[in-house]
Amino acid sequence: MTKMMPSLVMIAVTAALVGCNQSEAQDPKVTINKNPYPSTYQVLPSTKTIIKNATVLTGTGEKLENADVIMMDGKINAVGKNLAADDATIVDAQGKWVTPGIIDVHSHLGVYPSPNAESHNDGNEMTNPVTAEVWAEHSVWPQDPGFNRAREGGVTTMQILPGSANLIGGRGVTLKNVPAQSMQAMKFPDAPYGLKMACGENPKSLYGGRSELPMTRMGNMAGYRQAFIEATEYKRAWDKYETDYAAGKNAAAPKRDLTLDTLKGVLEGEILIHNHCYKAEEMVMMIDLGKEFNYHSGTFHHAIEAYKIADTLAENGNCAAMWPDWWGFKLEAYDMVLENVAIVDSVKNSCAVVHSDSPVTIQRLNQESAKIMHNANANGFNYTEEQAISWITVNAAKSLGIADKTGSLSEGKNADVVIWNVNPFSVYAKAEQVFIDGAKVFDHQDTRYQAQSDFLLGQE
Amino acid sequence: MKNMTQSLLALSLASTLFGASGLAFADSFAITHATVHTATAQGVLNNAVVVVKDGVITSVGSATDATLDVDKVIDAKGGIVTPGFIGSMNILGLVEVNAVADSSDAWDKKADITFDPSFGYNPKASSIAFTRKGGITRNIVTSSGGEDIHSGQTFVVDLSGSWDSIKATNTAVFVRLGAKHEGSRAAAIQQLIAQLEKGQKSLAKASKDKKGNNDVSELEEADEIVKSLLSGQKPLIVAADRASDILAILKLKQRFNVNLVLVGAADAVLISDQIAKAKVPVIVDAMRNLPESFDSLHNDLSNAGKLHAAGVKVILSNMGDSHNVYNLRYSAGNAVANGMDYNAAMAALTVNVADTFNIDSGSIMVGKPADIVIWNGDPFEFSSHVVKMYIDGKEQSTQSRHDKLRERYTTPSDLPRGYTK
Repeated sequence: MTKMMPSLVMIAVTAALVGCNQSEAQDPKVTINKNPYPSTYQVLPSTKTIIKNATVLTGTGEKLENADVIMMDGKINAVGKNLAADDATIVDAQGKWVTPGIIDVHSHLGVYPSPNAESHNDGNEMTNPVTAEVWAEHSVWPQDPGFNRAREGGVTTMQILPGSANLIGGRGVTLKNVPAQSMQAMKFPDAPYGLKMACGENPKSLYGGRSELPMTRMGNMAGYRQAFIEATEYKRAWDKYETDYAAGKNAAAPKRDLTLDTLKGVLEGEILIHNHCYKAEEMVMMIDLGKEFNYHSGTFHHAIEAYKIADTLAENGNCAAMWPDWWGFKLEAYDMVLENVAIVDSVKNSCAVVHSDSPVTIQRLNQESAKIMHNANANGFNYTEEQAISWITVNAAKSLGIADKTGSLSEGKNADVVIWNVNPFSVYAKAEQVFIDGAKVFDHQDTRYQAQSDFLLGQE
Repeated sequence: MKNMTQSLLALSLASTLFGASGLAFADSFAITHATVHTATAQGVLNNAVVVVKDGVITSVGSATDATLDVDKVIDAKGGIVTPGFIGSMNILGLVEVNAVADSSDAWDKKADITFDPSFGYNPKASSIAFTRKGGITRNIVTSSGGEDIHSGQTFVVDLSGSWDSIKATNTAVFVRLGAKHEGSRAAAIQQLIAQLEKGQKSLAKASKDKKGNNDVSELEEADEIVKSLLSGQKPLIVAADRASDILAILKLKQRFNVNLVLVGAADAVLISDQIAKAKVPVIVDAMRNLPESFDSLHNDLSNAGKLHAAGVKVILSNMGDSHNVYNLRYSAGNAVANGMDYNAAMAALTVNVADTFNIDSGSIMVGKPADIVIWNGDPFEFSSHVVKMYIDGKEQSTQSRHDKLRERYTTPSDLPRGYTK
């Protein structure tokens, strides 16, 4: 009900200001609840904790040796040397490494869960090229065993996206990786929604195969533009309603449209674009598409050719989310270079992200980053762990619009923390303990903190 | 471009080392100051010397007992030397781009036991040079099959990318059993049993008939292949995951005395003793740890190590892959991180593959072809890379078009990138 308050106040105010001049009484104001499936996330039980004597990668570009991290009331309380914390649980991390919780901006956990089965194919509403009306959160199966495996790999936050069959595939949702019975109990409080869009081969081959638009890349562009023309008109209609109502007129609210609600959210900057887009020329067009309709083109996912336009991406404030080495499965994925992330990252004001798009590699985003760092360093770059960790922490948080909350070990941020047995950029690295909001959610030595899906319980 | 200061230097070094025509070939050479993982009973040799003459390893030993009567000495500077790794059960070289139908020859609807995918192999596929970055020198290629249980026969290649890189064809028969999207798995294994029974009967008949040469001439190609399975000369590779399926297949080995190799085998850990006792090698993907289907509820990162510990001969593979077979060494690293013995993981990429598929490679041993990789560190680690690589004693480049693309887009130029070559 808290979301209703502003509109009631608004009615009262407008009535007081202009009510007496109106010949017609106003109908109750129509407002759209923007958060009908609100987060019910609760922090797991936690104690004040100090992690002692670790090598700490802060996510903000620093590497601190023999450093301590204090977590209190769910937040990072302090990071530094020789810290003291009264009554805190002490974790001796001598020889171990500590990083922010890992964030994956591109996951289909829960919507394409394990086991892979007809009954579980809930990630792609392949019935119309524009399905901005669907929300990935409505498909999430919280019992997907993949969530637990990802947590064991240090993943504390993930964006669950619809698939890429459609030009506009629907809303993505950002989740905290805690075991739960409902999506709402995992939902990251106050994280913005994402909107999945897709360039290139997937939409045009699916709908082209049905002799429908889009059959071509120009058809793709026409499809996005048509959708945003409608969204612009829809927004204008709602804005007019707001203005007229505020002026005391008894205006009729526009007919509500679930598809256009989401696109209007994009135009208003409340919903962030996450655009499956491999090729340089397509990304550059998608940047202009955003300018044409006055929204920001957001993060390019998969971005195989981001290295060809690294400057353009940085100039326009676009993040690029990339794999280290996937290639060759489609022609648009042909021009992969192993140093893609490093080339993008090397430009000033860049935002390079490493993502998984996979229930397998989400478990080892640290290793995915290690591949990139070491390949780049063998070919003329000079990356360090404290720089590379940003690809799966703070830059990912930036892409999701939650960098003010998580993604780095700085005072006041959510205490999303991973303790690794060794340098996380080693193939032998394993997450030993994982914390979300200061609460331990995984411990490799304590079965009490090793969650198991309902699905796997009692299987012989 | 703050992190790219060293790129120009590195690039010029790279072209000196790996320029297409700049690869050194010496009739004989010695690799010195190496830590050699022999993948033999010799184990790991420190500060060792490996001598190669005419493409063959002629000496492996300590620095003192090697007489370096060679054209060239290569100082490994304390680096690690391993046999070239051997990939298996992938479609490398059968596909340029999976979604480009005309460039994709791994699958054929009508594939059956006679299907020989080697006719579709392209040694110039861009994925082959890329795969060499992973220290892989040879590979066992399979098809993706078709509608039948049979996916045809495997073939063996070296990864030199040369026109004559197919080394052997029709080397093993590959059958897929277990979960079926349409119909019953029972019908699939019954088809295989019927085929083997028929082959057995025809062999029995042929041996009774002393004159019997017309029988042989009448054998169809498929029957000939079944015959080679029953004689144990050709491995029968069977993909299955569920323990009940694996047990049924082990019974086939007992009944028909076939040279059985299991692939996939998610549930193998549940029945590892039976598999070890039957002396059946198992090809696994060490990275599987999700219950992808009801056939694979017991996938775990520790499975490869557990199978080895139970006495099973383990081969590590990224089954079915086309473009990222180079990651194989990282799978081995992950297997080790999850409990597999290091040397066992090394064997699972080298000698175990060679032994199982009768390939003359996979160990640093006198008389073996010089398929050798020099690494700057632990070959399973991300921080290590191939320093030098040899196939049959010939030095190989690990550069691919990916490097050309990187160079194009990181080399400063006043002209459009299209002019940078």
